[in-house]
Amino acid sequence: MKSLDYQRLGNFRYAVITLVGDDGFPFSVATDFKILPDKKIVLQKPALPSKLDGKRVNVLFNHIRGLPGGGYGDRRYMLVWGTTHEDHGTLRFEPETVSEWDEKILPFDQYCAKSAPQGAKYLGKLQASVEA
Amino acid sequence: MTLPLLPFYLPDSGKFVVTSSILFSKKAENVKQNPKVSLLFSNPEGSKAGKHAVLVQGVADADDSDLDHGWEKYLSYWRKKEPYIDAYLTEREKFGWFWKRIVVQVEPKKILAWKNGDTSRPPEVFGA
Repeated sequence: MKSLDYQRLGNFRYAVITLVGDDGFPFSVATDFKILPDKKIVLQKPALPSKLDGKRVNVLFNHIRGLPGGGYGDRRYMLVWGTTHEDHGTLRFEPETVSEWDEKILPFDQYCAKSAPQGAKYLGKLQASVEA
Repeated sequence: MTLPLLPFYLPDSGKFVVTSSILFSKKAENVKQNPKVSLLFSNPEGSKAGKHAVLVQGVADADDSDLDHGWEKYLSYWRKKEPYIDAYLTEREKFGWFWKRIVVQVEPKKILAWKNGDTSRPPEVFGA
């Protein structure tokens, strides 16, 4: 997996845990987190979902800053897939894979250029469906 | 898959709209596979929901029948949130594929609200 940069992860203020609920809808909930010196990620356990032990979830860490004239800056996120384990009233999160964007590292125009393969893939599928 | 988004609320229909470039179209592909989605408003900087957190669960529809113009009807909503978007629009040719956009509408089915963003307590539930 792409390695998780714990130093940059520590710059986020909160986390969003998401998993698919019994009704089939994604359930997302914001919570606090901390990174222990041994690089273990500990999430504060929300009231819901009540059972998160051994669940595969994705955890979004994101940041955005409102600009005085409107709009946003300093946009960045890390989306981490992994498994949560209940541990003395908290959740220990074992990361597995990560995808991320930080506009200070990859400016938006370069992010667009890097994402061209996904655009081509979408157009290809659309073309195929039109021709079918 | 959870990603930061820029949603617009349409008061006339009670639906939310997200427009997505084909460059970042994985979410639209997912909607076509499974229309059950959620929108979480939890970041005071971005959501304007104050300290509160709101989760909207709903059914989504991805419309890619007019990638070049279908999203333009939502520009006024977009401009209110990101006034500088017009600068990108004037360079529409330069950002060609960014402006090929899918319109995703979300019809809310259930809303969960955490007062003051306190998720250590169960949320209030509406529309269950």
